[in-house]
Amino acid sequence: MSYSRRRLFEVELFVFEPGTCTLLSGRNGAGKTTLLKIAAGLLKPDRAIVRIEGRDFTWRAARPFLRHRVIYLHQFPYMFNTSVAKNIAYGLRQLRIPRAETKARVSQALEWSGLEELAERDARTLSGGEKQRVALARARVLSPDVLLLDESLSGLDPEARQQTYFLIRRMVSEQVAVVVATHDYELLRQLGDRHLILTDAGHLEDRSPKTTAAPSSHARAPNISPPRRRGQ
Amino acid sequence: MNEIVTATERAIGLLISGDPGLWAIIGISFSVSLRAILIATPFALAVALLLTLGHFYGRRLLIAVFNASMAVPAVVVGLSIYLLLSRSGPFGDLKLLFTQSAMVIGQILLAFPLLVAMAHSALQAAERSAWETALTLGARPWRALFTLMYEVRFALIAAIIAGFARIIAEVGCSMMVGGNILNYTRNITTAIALETSKGEFAQGIALGLVLLALALTLNLLLNLMQGKGELA
Repeated sequence: MSYSRRRLFEVELFVFEPGTCTLLSGRNGAGKTTLLKIAAGLLKPDRAIVRIEGRDFTWRAARPFLRHRVIYLHQFPYMFNTSVAKNIAYGLRQLRIPRAETKARVSQALEWSGLEELAERDARTLSGGEKQRVALARARVLSPDVLLLDESLSGLDPEARQQTYFLIRRMVSEQVAVVVATHDYELLRQLGDRHLILTDAGHLEDRSPKTTAAPSSHARAPNISPPRRRGQ
Repeated sequence: MNEIVTATERAIGLLISGDPGLWAIIGISFSVSLRAILIATPFALAVALLLTLGHFYGRRLLIAVFNASMAVPAVVVGLSIYLLLSRSGPFGDLKLLFTQSAMVIGQILLAFPLLVAMAHSALQAAERSAWETALTLGARPWRALFTLMYEVRFALIAAIIAGFARIIAEVGCSMMVGGNILNYTRNITTAIALETSKGEFAQGIALGLVLLALALTLNLLLNLMQGKGELA
């Protein structure tokens, strides 16, 4: 991928393993966000081949597959100008899921994220941590294969971080391949099964400690607590 | 002073009594300006979306041109259209000069840069993340566009109101290309100019009152929409 005629990176292989949380680090400007957005079908690469279930596609041909199966979450998730419940239902409406099923899946997602009591609140008035939970619930309701989080845990208070960690781990345990772009090595200790570094030379290097190569489990993150409802 | 009071009393009398000549002029004004804004709006929105989401050479220059074009005097637009539509002009064969169609064309050109500039600024305020969030959650590009526009709907309505306010109150262009023909191209502003030059102040004041009431209503609506647009 090149940007303004500057070659940003040339990644040979980026594999998304189900049920694995991959930490993606690299210095500022290395291209982490760009790489994630390409993977989510949001940004056009100079050249890329996408392999889905053993079949190779060009990036353009793969783009319709990537949407809603590979979900990208911004550092500061965008909340649509409506209620929490309608934010979560957005993707289901785009996929034309029947109304009754949408309602059931939204209410399950609200419960999953501990947001039941905020269902009718204007999503824009929520705190940063709550917005992250809405964004995760909004993604999870679509049963994605891959979830890409771009510095999503930066700027959250410790409690909100723990709640977000918990939801991320739950998604990993549901066999979602999660990639988190971050500078935070504490996160690596708590969440990371794999650690990839986007180097200054524009290559992707696997720096996973041998001991963390095993599939993830809740047991590796004993400090993580489920999201608490408001007022608790 | 007495003369002004008497003329104003007569003006109010004309308005209340439903003077057919007066209301025909008001009808022409609304008919021409509404047609112009209805035609200009979809094209202006498309251009604004292109300027917001597109990446192409000359994008910034185009934005600057549209911003600068907002200040072009109506009489200059009128002169340009006059030259194009006059018998010796390139579109003289269309015989559009001194017709309502010519007035509509002029008002489209007057409203267009304002609509593009205001809509572009509204869409930019929605952040690129709104567009990307819609796409990653499975929206097709055209649905994502509607989501983006819906997110900034109040600011977009404000742009349309501002565009309408600009064209219904302009005089230079309508006078030059419409020709101020009674019951055909005589609108509020050209009628005010004519009646005042004849010393017939009552009708001028009556039409002025209509224009003032309209300006006040549109500005109130504009403030209301811009206030809500803050969310977008």
